[in-house]
Amino acid sequence: MSRIDPDRVQVILATDCGSTTTKAILIQKIDGVFRQTHRGEAPTTVEEPFADVTMGVLNAVTETQELAGRRLIDADGRIIQPASGDEGCDIYISTSSAGGGLQMMVAGVIRQMTAESAKRAALGAGAIVMDVIAANDKRRPHEQIQRIRELRPDMILVSGGVDGGTTTHVVRLAELIAPAKPRPRFGSEYTLPIIYAGNADAAPLVADVITDGFDLTVVDNLRPVLERENLGPARDAIHDLFLEHVMAHAPGYDKLIQWTDAPIMPTPGAVGNILETIARERGINVVGVDIGGATTDVFSVFDGVFNRTVSANLGMSYSISNVCAEAGMDNILRWVHIPMDARELRNRVKNKMIRPTTIPQSLEALVFEQAVAREALRLAYLQHKEFATTLKGVQRQRTVGDTFSQESSGETIVDNMALNLLVASGGVLSHAPSMRQTAMLLIDAFEPEGFTTLAKDSIFMMPHLGVLAEVHPQASVEVFERDCLIHLGAVAAAAGSGKPGQACFRYQVRGDTLEASGEMRVGDMKLYPLGLGETARVAIQPERGFDFGAGPGRAVERDVEGGTVGLILDARGRPLQVEGGVEGWVRALELYPEGSVA
Amino acid sequence: MRRWITASACLVWTTAAAAQVPGGPTGLEAVDYPWDNGTRIQLTWSLSPDDDTLLGYAVRRRLADDPQQTLIDILPPGTSAYTVPDLDPELAYLFAVTAIAQDNTESAPASTLAPVTPSVQAFDGTRLWFMVTLVLFSGAVVVFIRMARTGRDLKVRKIAGLEAVTEAVGRATEMGRSCLYVPGIQDMNDIQTIASMNVLSHVARTAAEYDAKLEVPTSKSLVMTAARETVETAFLSAGRPDAYNPDLIYYVTDEQFGFVAYAQGMMVREKPAACFYLGSFFAESLILAEMGNSIGAIQVAGTAQPAQLPFFVAACDYTLIGEEFFAASAYLSGEPDQMGSLKGQDVGKLIVAVGILAGVGGMTLAAVTGSDLIQSMVDYFTQRMLT
Repeated sequence: MSRIDPDRVQVILATDCGSTTTKAILIQKIDGVFRQTHRGEAPTTVEEPFADVTMGVLNAVTETQELAGRRLIDADGRIIQPASGDEGCDIYISTSSAGGGLQMMVAGVIRQMTAESAKRAALGAGAIVMDVIAANDKRRPHEQIQRIRELRPDMILVSGGVDGGTTTHVVRLAELIAPAKPRPRFGSEYTLPIIYAGNADAAPLVADVITDGFDLTVVDNLRPVLERENLGPARDAIHDLFLEHVMAHAPGYDKLIQWTDAPIMPTPGAVGNILETIARERGINVVGVDIGGATTDVFSVFDGVFNRTVSANLGMSYSISNVCAEAGMDNILRWVHIPMDARELRNRVKNKMIRPTTIPQSLEALVFEQAVAREALRLAYLQHKEFATTLKGVQRQRTVGDTFSQESSGETIVDNMALNLLVASGGVLSHAPSMRQTAMLLIDAFEPEGFTTLAKDSIFMMPHLGVLAEVHPQASVEVFERDCLIHLGAVAAAAGSGKPGQACFRYQVRGDTLEASGEMRVGDMKLYPLGLGETARVAIQPERGFDFGAGPGRAVERDVEGGTVGLILDARGRPLQVEGGVEGWVRALELYPEGSVA
Repeated sequence: MRRWITASACLVWTTAAAAQVPGGPTGLEAVDYPWDNGTRIQLTWSLSPDDDTLLGYAVRRRLADDPQQTLIDILPPGTSAYTVPDLDPELAYLFAVTAIAQDNTESAPASTLAPVTPSVQAFDGTRLWFMVTLVLFSGAVVVFIRMARTGRDLKVRKIAGLEAVTEAVGRATEMGRSCLYVPGIQDMNDIQTIASMNVLSHVARTAAEYDAKLEVPTSKSLVMTAARETVETAFLSAGRPDAYNPDLIYYVTDEQFGFVAYAQGMMVREKPAACFYLGSFFAESLILAEMGNSIGAIQVAGTAQPAQLPFFVAACDYTLIGEEFFAASAYLSGEPDQMGSLKGQDVGKLIVAVGILAGVGGMTLAAVTGSDLIQSMVDYFTQRMLT
C-alpha cells in the first residue's frame, strides 16, 4: 500500500464486496469538492465456479468506467493508479462482507464486564459475535468446550481481568479454548487467530496454554481498569487479523489486498467508522440502522461513545418469520390501517422467507411489509439500547441527596431526546415507494424525541466512505454530506403522554418558504413542506407534562433543515400509544395515496 | 304585726330552702349498651327543670344486692345520656342520677327501678374500624399471595442495592480480590441480623457462581455459626460445595471497636473489591464505609438504624434503607408467598400514609378555619376510627 498525499488526490475508487453484489463507486474532485459521480455493480464472485472476488470487483469497476467514460482498468486487468488525465484513480479502497463477513467468538471473565467489553470491541470492528463465553454464563465447562467446538469462528477474542487482577479465571478461559480446538471455516491449513486483550499479568500464562494450532496475538488490555474501556488496540488487531488470516484464505482476496490503498475492512465496521467520524466532526449524536434480509445492524454514537449491535434474527426475508414470532402478529397488525386476513398474512410471511428477493406487488403487501419492518426495527433498537450502556462494576460516588435516587450502573446511554441524526439504510427503508413512508418507518420504530433530522443512505455508500475516512477523512465527510445522505427532513416530537385530543403543544414555524403556526393535540401528526436545503426556525411551547428537550412545559426554539419529506410535527407522545389505530396518522401524512403502488 | 313577721320569715325560709335543693332529673332508663363486650350500660334521663343553674349531674351505681352506692361520674349540665363503663357482665346493677346545685346540694335521685345486667354481644361495635383495618391489611396480603400463586407478575420496584450485588461480586472477581461481608454487630436475636443472613445467602451464591472469595468476620459467635450454615447452603445450591471454606467465616470479638479495628486492618491489608455491610450498625458504620471507600471497593450497605443511614448513603455505592433491607428476602427469592406478603404490606403502608396525611390535613384545616364540622370529623377519626 502506497503513501497517499491527500492534497493531490483527485479520483477515488471504492468497492464493497457484499455476499451477493459487489458495488463500486467513483468519487471525483469537482470544483474543489469531492462528489460521488458514478456507480456500478456486479454479482460477487467469491463462490464457485469463479472463486475469485476480484472478478466481481473488476466487473463492477468496468460498469463504472463505462458510465464515467474514464478508464479504470488496464489491459492486464488491474486497477490503474495513480490517476492521470482521463484514466485511473488515486485511491482504491474496499470493504467486504462476502462469505458471511467476520464471525467471531469472544470470551471474558464476567459476562457484564470484560466479556461485554470484548463483545463491544468485536462488534465495533464489524464482526458478527457468535457467542460469548464467560465465567458466569451458567454453563458447565464441558458445555462451554462443546459450544466452542461447534461454532467454528474465524477468530476468538479473549479478555478478562483488569491489569493486576485475576489470572486464574483468565487462564481457565484459555484452558477451555485450547482443548476445544475449534475448526475454522477455511480449511485445515487455517491457523485460528486468537487475540488476547486481558490482564497483562496473565498473558504469559495464556501463551503457555494456547500453543499449537492457534495464532495468539497479545494486545493491550481492553479493560485496564473497570472504570475505563480501551477498545482501540483490540479493534485494530481484529482488522489486521481479518486481513492476514480471514481475507487471505478467502478466494481472490490475496490479490484484492494488494490492490487496495487501505486495509480491507468488514462492511459493518466501515459503516460504524463513517458514523463515528460524522458524529465527531459535527459534534452530534447519531443513530444508524441497516436492515437486511437476515440481520439488522444498529449503530449509535452518543457523546462520542460508539456502539454497534447486530440483531441476528431480525430481518425482512430470511428472518421475517422470527420477527413475526418475536413481536407477535398483534403487534405487527397494529401498524396496519386496512383490513387483512391473518391466514393470508401467514402465507405471505412464509413466501417471503423462501423467496427473499420478492418485493411487494400490492398496497396490502407493502403495508404489511412495512408493518413488519417497524417491529423489526423497534426490536433491534431495544436490543441496542440494552447493549449500549454505561460500564458496569464501577465504583460510584454519592451524596446524602442520593438517598432515594440511587441510580445503578449499566444504564443505557441511548437517549432519544439527545439524538440529532437518524440514518436509515437497507432495502425496506431505501427502496420504499415514498420517502414519507421511510420517514414514518423511522419515527414509528425509533420514537425520536425533541428535534431529530431524518436521512437515508442513498445507495448504501456508507461502507465505502467508512474505509475512505481512514485514508482521506475530508473526502469521506464531503461525499457523506453531499451525496451519501438523502435528507428526508426533520421531526419535532413531544415526549410525554396524555389523553387523545388533549392539548399537547403550540408551534410557530418561520422560514423563507414556510410560515405556519397552530396547536397540536395528543394523537395529531402534521407535515409541512420544507424542501432540500431549506431551513426554518421552529418555536414550540409544550403543554405541562410534554417535553421537547428543555424540560416539561418549557418552550424550545430550534433551526431545522428540510428534506424530501419536510417538517413533521408529532404530538403522539412518547412512549408511542398505537392502540387507538393508525388511520389518522396515515391520512395526515398521506402515506399510501391511491395508485401509489401497482 | 307578729303574724306578718312570722309569715314573712316563713316565706324567706321557704325561698331559701327552694334555692338549695334543685329539681331532680326524671325518667331514668338503663339499657344494655349494644354491640359491646358486656362492660357498659347506657343511661338516659330527662333534664332537671333547674338545669340552667346546676353544677351538673352525679351518676351513681350500686349492685342489686348491695345498698352501697358508688359515684361514677359528675357530668356537666345539659347532659341527658351517659354510658357507664367498666361493669361486670356477671352482675346486676341499679343506677341513680341526681342534680347538683352550685352549692353542692343534691336533688332527689332519679333511680332505675329494676336491676340491669350488661350482656356480652358477639361483636364489639367500638372495634368496627379496627376490624375494617384488619380486613384491609390482611386481605391485601391474602389477595396478593393468591395473585402471585396464580402466576401474576407482581411488580416490585427495582432495589438498586440488591441489583448491585452481582456487580460488586463481579468487580471483585475481575480484580482478583475478595468480597467482605459484615453482618452487623448484633446477635441473632436482632431482626436485622436475621435479614442480613438472607442477603448473605444471595451474596454467597453469587460468589460461588463467579468463583470469588467471600470473607465474613462476625462479632458474635452465634452469628458466625448461622453465617457458616447460610454460606455452605448457598455454595451447595450453586453447585460449588467444593469451593466452600468455613475458615473464611469467623468470629473476631464481641467488643464493638475491637471488631472495627480488626475489620479496618483487614480491609487495608487485603483491599477487598466489594464490601457489604448489612445488619445492625452503630458508630462503626462510617468508620467501615469510609475505609471501604478509600480502598476503592464497591460498597453495598443496609440497615434499619435511621441514625446510621446518612453515613452509609454518603460513603457507600448503594444503601438499602430500612424496609428495603427487610424486603430483600422476598425481592431476591421472587417466591410467590413472600412477594404477595410484600405487596400486601405495601398496601397497608399506603393506607397508613393516607391516614396520616388525612389526619394532619384535617387537624390543620380545623385549626385554621375553626370549622366545627371539620373538627367533629377529625374527632371521629381520632377517637373512633383510630381507637
